[in-house]
Order: sequence, then structure tokens, then C-alpha cells
Amino acid sequence: MEFSLKPLLYFLVFPGFAFTAIVGLLSSWVDRKVSAKVQWRVGPPWYQNFADIIKLLHKEIIVPQGSGFTGFLFAPLLGLAGATLVSTIIWVINLNPDSGFVGDLIVVLYLLAFPSLGVIIGGSASRNPLGGLGASREMKLILAYELPFIIAVFTAVLKVGSILLGDIIGYQQVSGIMLRHPSCIIAFLVALICAQAKLTLVPFDIPEAEQELIAGPFTEYSGAPLAIFKLTRAMMLFILPVFLITLFWGGMNFHGWQILASCLKYLAILVFIILVKNTNPRLRIDQAMKFMWGPMTILAIGGMILAVVGL
Amino acid sequence: MDPVTLLYPIFIPIIIGVVVFLLPQRWRPLHGGLAFLFTGFTSFTALRIFLSPQLVHQLFTLRLGRIDLSFELSSPHLGAFVVLFVNLSSLLLILYSLGYWRGREYPNRYFSWLLITLGASCGAVLANNLIWLLVFWEVVTLMFYLLVTLGGNKLSSLAAKKSFAILGFSDCALLLGIVLIWGLTGTLRLNEISVSLGNWTSHFIFILFLIGAITKAGAMPLHSWIPTAAEGAPAPVVAFLPAALDKLLGVYLLARLSLDLFIMDRPMGMLLMVIGGLTILFAGMMALVQKDLKRLFAFSTVSQVGYMVLGIGTGVPIGIMGGLFHMLNNAIYKSALFLGAASVEKRTGTTQLAQLGGLASAMPYTFFASLVCALSLSGVPPFNGFVSKWMIYQGTIVSRQPIFLVIAMFGSALSLAAFIKALFSVFWGHRPRELAEVKEVGFAMVIPQVVLALGCIFFGIFAQFPLRHFIGPVIGYSFDQVPRGITFYNALWSPTLATILIFIALLLGLIIYLLGHLKLRRTGVMFVGGETMDPQEVRVLGTGFYQTISGLKGFQGVYGDAEKGVFDLYYLTGRYGNNIVQVLRKLHDGVLSTYLSWCIIGLGFLLFLLMR
Repeated sequence: MEFSLKPLLYFLVFPGFAFTAIVGLLSSWVDRKVSAKVQWRVGPPWYQNFADIIKLLHKEIIVPQGSGFTGFLFAPLLGLAGATLVSTIIWVINLNPDSGFVGDLIVVLYLLAFPSLGVIIGGSASRNPLGGLGASREMKLILAYELPFIIAVFTAVLKVGSILLGDIIGYQQVSGIMLRHPSCIIAFLVALICAQAKLTLVPFDIPEAEQELIAGPFTEYSGAPLAIFKLTRAMMLFILPVFLITLFWGGMNFHGWQILASCLKYLAILVFIILVKNTNPRLRIDQAMKFMWGPMTILAIGGMILAVVGL
Repeated sequence: MDPVTLLYPIFIPIIIGVVVFLLPQRWRPLHGGLAFLFTGFTSFTALRIFLSPQLVHQLFTLRLGRIDLSFELSSPHLGAFVVLFVNLSSLLLILYSLGYWRGREYPNRYFSWLLITLGASCGAVLANNLIWLLVFWEVVTLMFYLLVTLGGNKLSSLAAKKSFAILGFSDCALLLGIVLIWGLTGTLRLNEISVSLGNWTSHFIFILFLIGAITKAGAMPLHSWIPTAAEGAPAPVVAFLPAALDKLLGVYLLARLSLDLFIMDRPMGMLLMVIGGLTILFAGMMALVQKDLKRLFAFSTVSQVGYMVLGIGTGVPIGIMGGLFHMLNNAIYKSALFLGAASVEKRTGTTQLAQLGGLASAMPYTFFASLVCALSLSGVPPFNGFVSKWMIYQGTIVSRQPIFLVIAMFGSALSLAAFIKALFSVFWGHRPRELAEVKEVGFAMVIPQVVLALGCIFFGIFAQFPLRHFIGPVIGYSFDQVPRGITFYNALWSPTLATILIFIALLLGLIIYLLGHLKLRRTGVMFVGGETMDPQEVRVLGTGFYQTISGLKGFQGVYGDAEKGVFDLYYLTGRYGNNIVQVLRKLHDGVLSTYLSWCIIGLGFLLFLLMR
């Protein structure tokens, strides 16, 4: 097998790790700033998240007594690896739609679950009862949102008739964005709310509900592992909206003025997510499951039926 | 190569099995030793059969009137491949049993029946005559019955009876199918039969064969023997038969049915996909709420069969290949998981999830193997389960059935959830006081688990190897034909490249750790709301993980019914069959004159029929 350094470069610098991490941390800053505005505060300066991460790296790592040391420290890395790889795949395909591979969408869907898996393993390995509860809630949340999310994603696939992300982008370049179909508008909305849950942001911050579980799976984490968890979450805040844009909103484009449009699309979704986060109370886990398996799934199936009849 | 070699994997284990059975019990190491030695030999033979082109051997010819009972063996690629893996999994299992069965009663019976099972399985796969296939098939069923009875707990006899009844029913269906296909085509030789589906009769015959195949494999609705057997049987037996061999046999027959014996049509393909989809979904949901480790594994096994049936049902090459590859993968990780459960049971004496916990540090190898296999089963890349599921998903896309894709992907989330629960309950969380002294199992028991787990990793990272050499040739598929498909080398996603990248990312994380002050590591007291609490008192039990789901409206009733056995055909036949029997019973009133009048009415009816 020929081996070139190109994938490595893609993977580590652009559009993989370094790029995603930087933009992700900036997005987290947008999150903090907009939240601050909503709450009539000033908010932190733009470099606050970088400072936080660097500070955390210099703190000592405390491992809870009697916990599985390896699993405890390995779990954050798993999430980071998944987030980096999925970001690379999505971006490489966005930059060059022909570079996909059959079934890349499935790989992306699986890799998007890696950060949550890392949280579950970490929370369980910490042996903290609150961590265990948080892990179980995280798993239930995955079960809850995964059903409508998959249906929503495959509404787009049904529309295009291909399971290649590249084909989905290509289709949108030729015949306009997905969002002009009613079926895809429904799917997009469903996917957006599922993304909120995937990011475990309010109203779906059930696994780490501060008032109930302290920090849930993160309770025992400190120092570098916590920094990695935070970094992964920041990266996901960037990747998930990009994934939705790729599927439904014409993809990210970097030719001339298109850059601006791409950035605006991303910012629009980001601000929507932040506003939802700031204006809703947290759900209980059973309410979340009922909501996801009930109205959301029915809505998603409705969207899929519309797609089948050609709308 | 000499075609007589085909006889070795069948008759050597059977003969040695009889010899082992006759050895006295107190010659303890000898039973297992002999079994291991000769299984090693047959594994080697199976490898040679696999590497040589198709062999055909006729031991004797026998014709009874129009019925051809010749004992002919042949090794088409699929058969040779299945025989190879049947032998390899037997080898690992017997190695494991050397440790597991130490100190237990009846080593002679145990090893003898394992060997006979192995021989009969090879016979069923290699036989080119449907009658002989059925005979060997029955021997496997019988041996399973006997092996379950060795379980030695109060469920064993019930489990044995139930499995035998359900498998026996399916074998009856198979026998009926064989008779009908003989009537239709006039031959019993597998390689001569090719029935095109399209009319009512052929569909009926296909369904009869299908019952035989999917009951062995354990798809719904004929799955209910697996969870019961898992509880009652000795744990390695569950790893051997329902998890590995029965899957290989059942899916082998299913593949032969849909590739060779019948020319598939749309409705039957659809039937397979519906069976597969429903099995994935319902067994996955059932696995979530189990309280016993072995029962949980059993339901997830059933759910995995759904993927194989779904893959074969798609009827497109990539789906069929995915289904067969999944069969192989499932045999690997499911045996390892059941062996893990057996190790846990051996050391702690229980598989009740509520009584276990925190074993990760006590049993590191078992934990590692179970973790890898659980992730692999849930389809986490880059392990093998991901590759086969990915192929099955593509099969559903190619055959334009997105609804099954949604079910299959959701089912994968369900299996992940079930395994998180199992891993949490057994390996994470807090260790109960009673288990403070638990140690890792012995060498002979660790090796098979670790080998199987490494197999999961290997088949995942280098998926092109088994696909090219084992699966592709089965359906006459060369990889150059695939448009942009599984050209693993050129695409961005090659499992190998992806794994390298994942490892690089892990390294990257390690570097971040090193940038920080990894050395400044210390252990601290657990923080639970600032209280000092005894971890024993505030233990979170994995059994409570999904109570939210079983408590949801709508699920409550279904789960309640499932616990009562409403979806268990065995239970239903028992219950409603009894009603029918009660009606017949009323006819037996013990009065002679009633019986006489029945006889006379019958005689009259017969006379009428004959004299008409």
C-alpha cells in the first residue's frame, strides 16, 4: 500500500485537528459571548477558551481512588480521535466532493458517536456513582436521539439516491440546496434538534445536569483529561453544524465570496443552537426520550414519507 | 489432494468422541488432552481442505428404490470455509474447557459430546445429500440437548427440553421440506437442485427450509431457546453452539438456500429482510432490560442473527457478503463474550448483573477481550463488526430499502447500549465486598479469549483479507468488479488507513497529556457531593440503567408481556396446545361402549373410502 504524508497533514493540521480545534474553541467563545448578551453580561474575551485549555493542561491530574486508571485516562482520547477523524472526512469531502468513498455517510454517523462513547466509558471508569448515573443518561440520550437523527439523515439520502456525501454535495450544487424541499426542511429541523442533544446542550444537558449530578461523567476529571474533553466538545460544536450544512444546505464552499456565505450559514446554525440553549429549561431523561421517540420520530417519518412521494 | 481427507474432520472427532466417552472419569486430563490434540489435527485438515480446490468423495452408493442415499461429500468454497471456522472455534473452545471443566463432573461426557458435535457439524456442512445433511444436523441438535443437561443448575433440564423441542420442530420442518423438494425435483443431491421460486409450492418449500435454517441460527420468532439455554447450559457450551457453531450452520444453510438451492424472488427476499429487521429491533430491545449477563448476551446474539438474515435477504452481492462476513465476525466476538461470561461465572459463581461489579482491575485480560468484542459487536470502527455491518447497510441501500437501514443502524445503537450496561455492571462500578478476592482465570482460559479479541481487531483493520480470501470467492465475486465499492486501497476510508489515523489521534492525545503535567498525577478521594460515603452503600447498579425505557408508556406493557412469555412460541404452544389437548381428552371417558362406537364409525368410514 502506498503511503503518503498527505492524509497525515490533512488529519493533523488542516482540516483536521488543529483547524477544527481552533475554530471549535472560537465557536465556544461565540457561545459564551452570545449567552452573556442574552443574560445582560459582558462575556469573556475571544481568547478565553484557549487560556482555559492551557491552564487546565498545567493542572495536576487527579485519579479517583480505586478506579481503572487506564480506562479513565483513555476515554477522553477516544472522543478526541473520533472527533478529529470525522472532521477530517467531512472537510475533505467538502473541499473535494469526488474524494468520498461508498458509505462514507455511515462512517461519519458512527464516528459522530465516538465523543459520547468516550464520555460514557470515562464516566463509568471513574467509578463515581454520579459518573455512573451520568453515563447511563448519556447512553439513553444516544438511544433517544439516534432514531430520529438517522431517519432525518436518510431523508436526504433518499432524495439524492446516493449514500456518498460527495454525491449529496454535488446534487445540491447542480439542482439547488436540499432545503427547498418541504421534506428536507422537516428533516433539517429534526436533525438540528438532535444535534442539540448530541452536543448535550440545554435542554438536553441531562447527563451532566449540574444541579443534580455535579458534572455527571466529568465529576472526577481534572487537568489534561478534562481539557481534552472540553476540546472535544468544542470541536463537536463546530463539526455537527458543518455536517448538517453539508447534508441540507449546500455544503461549505471556499470559492471567492462563497467563503462568506459558508461562514454565515455556520454562524446562523450556531446562534440558533445557542439561543435554544439559553431559552429552554432542562428536560428530564424520560421526557427527553418520550420527546425524541414520540413527536420527533413521527415528524422525521413524516418527512421521509414526503420524500418518498417526491416533495 | 486425496478426496478421502474429507472424511477426517467428520469421522475422527466422532470416533475419538466415542473413545473419550468410554474412558473412566478419573483419568481426568486425558479426556481434554485427547480432544484438544485431535481437534488440532482436524483443524489442520480443514485448513488443507480449504486451500485445495473443491473435492468430492463418495464413501458408498446406496439406492432404496427411487431414493438416493449415497454418502457423498463435497467441499464447495463456502462449505470448506465454514468447516475451517467450525474447527478453529472448536479448538479454542476445547482449550478453554481444559481450564473451565477442571474439577467438574463428567469430563468424559463433556468432551465426548463436544467432539461428536464438531464431527457432526462438519458432516452437515460437507454432505452433498440432503438426507445425510439432515442426519448430521439432527446429531448436532441431540448433542446440544445432552450438553445443556450438564449445566448442573435448576434451569438446565428445562433449557434442554425447550431447546430440543424448538430445534426438533425446526428439524421436522426441514425434513418435510426435503421430502417435498425430492417430490418436486426427484433428486436429493444438493448440487443438482435449483428450484426457481415463483409459485405457491416452491414458496412453501422455501419457507420450510427457512424455518430449519433460522431456528438453528436463532432468528425471531423461533429464537426463544437461546436465552433459556444460555441460562441453563454450561457457559462454554453456549459460547460453542448457539454463539458460534449454530450460527455458522444456520447461516450456511440459509446461504446455500438463497444462493444455490433456490433462485430467489422479491417476496421471499422481502420476507428475509422483514425477519431480519424485526429480529434486530426486538431482540435489541429485549437485551436492554435483562438482569442476567448470559441472558443479555443471548438476546444480543439473536439480534446479530437479524443482521445476517437481513444481509442475505437484500439479495445483492455486497449485502450477501456482508451477511456472511457478519456470520464469521459474530462467531468470533460472540464466543469471546460468552467465554468472558464463563470466566466471570467461574471466578464469582454468578452471572447476575446486580451482584457483580468492578472486575476490570481483577480480571484485566477478560475485561480487555470483552471490551474489544463488545465494541466490535456494536459496530464501532475500526473493529470487524463495523465492516460487516457497513456492508449490510450498503446492501439495503443498493436494494432500495432505506427503512431497513434505519432499523439496522438503530439496532446497532441498541446493542451498544446493552453492552454498556453489561460492561458497567460487570467490569466498571464498584466491586462488592464478597468479590474482593477475585483473581484472573487461568492461562488456558485467558488465551482463547484474547486470541478471539485479537481476531476482531485483525479482521477489522485488515478487512480486505477475509473478504478477498474467505467471503468473496463464495459468491464468485472478485473485487475488481465493484465500482468505487470496497476498493479498500484507493479510497480515503480504508480500514487500515482509518485505524492508523485513529492511532495517530490517540498519540496526539498522549502528547497533550505529556504537555500537561502527567507526572503530577495523584489519586484522590472520590467526590460525591462533598459527602464521605462508603462506595459500597452508594453503588450505582447497571441493572437500573434502562429502567427509564421499560417505564415509558407503551413499553411498559410490551416488556411486561415479554417477561410473561407472550412472544415465546414455545410457551404459547404449550399454553394453547394444552387447550386443544383438553378437548381431545374429553373424548376419553373410559366407557367401553364409547370407544367401540368410535371404532365402528371409523371402520365404516374406511369401508366407505375403500369401496366407493
